[in-house]
Amino acid sequence: MSNSGNGIFNVTRRGAIKGLAASTLLSTLPVRAWAEDVTLRWWSPQGSPDQVAAYKFQIEQFEAMHPGVKVVFETTSDEGYAPQLAAAFSSGEVPDVVTHLPSFSVASYYANGLVEPFDDVIEAIGASDYYPGANDVFKAADGKYFGTGIGNTAANMLWLRKDLMQAAGVDKAPETWDELRAACQAMQGGGVYGAPLPYGRNSMTSLIFIGVIHQAGGQVFTPDLEVDIDSEATRAALDFYGSMRELCPPGATNYSWGESLTAFVSGASATGIYAGRVLANVNAQNPDIADSVTCATYPRISTDVAPWTFNDFPSVFIPAQSKNKDAAKMFAAFLFNPEGYIKQLHAAPGHVLPVLKSISTNPMYLDNPIIKKYEAEVDLMASASAGGYNLGYESSAHKSNEKGGEVVGSGVIADLVQRVVLNGENVDTVLSETSQSIEAIMKG
Amino acid sequence: MIKNQKAKLERQYATLGMMLIAPTVLVFCAVIVYPLVSAIYLSLFDIYTPTLQGEWVGLDNYRELLGKGEFWTSLRNNIIWTVGTLSLQILFGIGMALVLHQNIWFRSLARSLILFPYFVSTVVAVLVWRWLFNDLYGILNHLMMAAGLIDMPIDYLGSMPNAMISVILVGAWKYFPFVVIAVLARLQTIPDALYEAARIDGAGPVARFFDITLPQLRDVLVVIIMLRAIWDFKEFDLIFLLTGGGPVTSTQTLPLLVYKEAFSLNHMGMAAAYAVTMMAVMLVFMIVYIRKTREKEA
Repeated sequence: MSNSGNGIFNVTRRGAIKGLAASTLLSTLPVRAWAEDVTLRWWSPQGSPDQVAAYKFQIEQFEAMHPGVKVVFETTSDEGYAPQLAAAFSSGEVPDVVTHLPSFSVASYYANGLVEPFDDVIEAIGASDYYPGANDVFKAADGKYFGTGIGNTAANMLWLRKDLMQAAGVDKAPETWDELRAACQAMQGGGVYGAPLPYGRNSMTSLIFIGVIHQAGGQVFTPDLEVDIDSEATRAALDFYGSMRELCPPGATNYSWGESLTAFVSGASATGIYAGRVLANVNAQNPDIADSVTCATYPRISTDVAPWTFNDFPSVFIPAQSKNKDAAKMFAAFLFNPEGYIKQLHAAPGHVLPVLKSISTNPMYLDNPIIKKYEAEVDLMASASAGGYNLGYESSAHKSNEKGGEVVGSGVIADLVQRVVLNGENVDTVLSETSQSIEAIMKG
Repeated sequence: MIKNQKAKLERQYATLGMMLIAPTVLVFCAVIVYPLVSAIYLSLFDIYTPTLQGEWVGLDNYRELLGKGEFWTSLRNNIIWTVGTLSLQILFGIGMALVLHQNIWFRSLARSLILFPYFVSTVVAVLVWRWLFNDLYGILNHLMMAAGLIDMPIDYLGSMPNAMISVILVGAWKYFPFVVIAVLARLQTIPDALYEAARIDGAGPVARFFDITLPQLRDVLVVIIMLRAIWDFKEFDLIFLLTGGGPVTSTQTLPLLVYKEAFSLNHMGMAAAYAVTMMAVMLVFMIVYIRKTREKEA
């Protein structure tokens, strides 16, 4: 594409509208606020080198537009953000913008008065540009939004090797659990395992198994947030999960995201269960299988049950204790400026998917080798994640669950899997105790 | 007149003494007493971690704590972990110290290298061991399979009793250099004359160890065991990073339970109650241990 073409596409109606919105927001700020230098702290658990480079680009652009405002990026960690934020909140030394935390964690903080309402930032970004329903998960009980998605992530896609499928006589992507088991059994052997499901005592096991419950037609909570995990669907889910154990590597009992991803990328597992980072990793680390990789929504107990995609809805939110809320809101909105936003998405192509329709169709976004090569897979992940859910928002009928993060963090669901599947404990007893544990968490 | 002068001088000395000791007392109060009192105070409330706001519940946290099966399971795990890894640390430590005490040609190099596990960051050490234990590409499984000892990879961290054995072994590897250092220092001060006399009397190497070396090491070992027991009892990061307390709660110790209550469930008050209970358990151990060692001395 010629440079002049890029120039034309860079000046878009959406970009102009966002610029106007940003200017409008800027004009409403008190003059004194801009007479003083401001430093914004940005926290995120996403810290791969490419992502950090993209963040720095966005920061440089923002700082160039706003002399006197400085932005400092600081990484946290996926498993360790809770104590870091707890320390920040309790000390009052909070970051000004936080991104990529799952929505159910932010819901809990908002319910306790720790997060600033985000409605005006969503308007500044362009509410109509979001995929339909994309922000529903971020709506609190009081009707306000406590954040928005920095992107979507389809975290439980079924990853497949077309070459192994062909060799094993598997003619299509499995849609049901029976088909998945049969396919894995057919492909397992010669040092290759069927699947890398997690059975460890960690958040991945909890999050994946919540999806499996839904793929059995069940749920953890009713729409009114009564505990509903002790059900026939959950029993079926446990049976399925147990039956897959023999098709997973021995160390799957301690697998989390990294180990599970590596098992598929390295070729040790014929299938995988993860988000779009698989694409970049396969091309970088095991290019021999890159042309054989594809994905599908994870199979269900039967095709009568709709697919259920886990989207942790990586968020953007602003702590209520921030001393620079206005500037933070400006910066939060700026994160969706097309040039910087696309660069950020390209840092993890297919993994963090756009939440804005205009970005998905933007030629700049589509002009990425990974996205081009796996156009069908990226489209599938985009649509699946846009309609995705998590424990904070199990279906469109469910209320926002501010305790979702604590249920996941407590390990009670991972314990359920381990006790029944690994230890062989009585399922009725364990489900009863699990229900009681979750109820205790809900009561606070 | 003389008496008055003496009294005045004594008061000046007393004042000077107080002034000299004041910084230490202040630091002690700030670092030890204040956190301890704060923890006990927090344990009487139901507090939401991020805001540190909550309501008074008195001893309810302790009643709930003692009624939880998870507490007793974690306490048992804590004891197993502490006794297991401490025992191995002592055995490996004394053994290695005896080897390094010999006049071998690579002694100076070995003495330096032996410190490596102790000085390396726990996070780095755990990453290395997780790699070693990995079922797909870990070197332990590959070597054992290549040697024909096993047909399938061993699940070191995700099944019992493998998980507890693994964390105990890693803990022993990580901390035994401390024992080596302390024992080696003491070995070098044991008079050679004692060994000469024993040899003249016909004592063999085993007898010399139990009759001379071990009694001479007793004072050092008493201190080492107490210190390492306390440190191992409250070990958090090594176990948390290796197994997360799993499978289920099989390797979950009390420090991991404190973390879970504080940051996963946001129950800071309950977490403080667990922490205070941990302190009480360690205090009981210290008192019993010190009394027994004193009785033995008498």
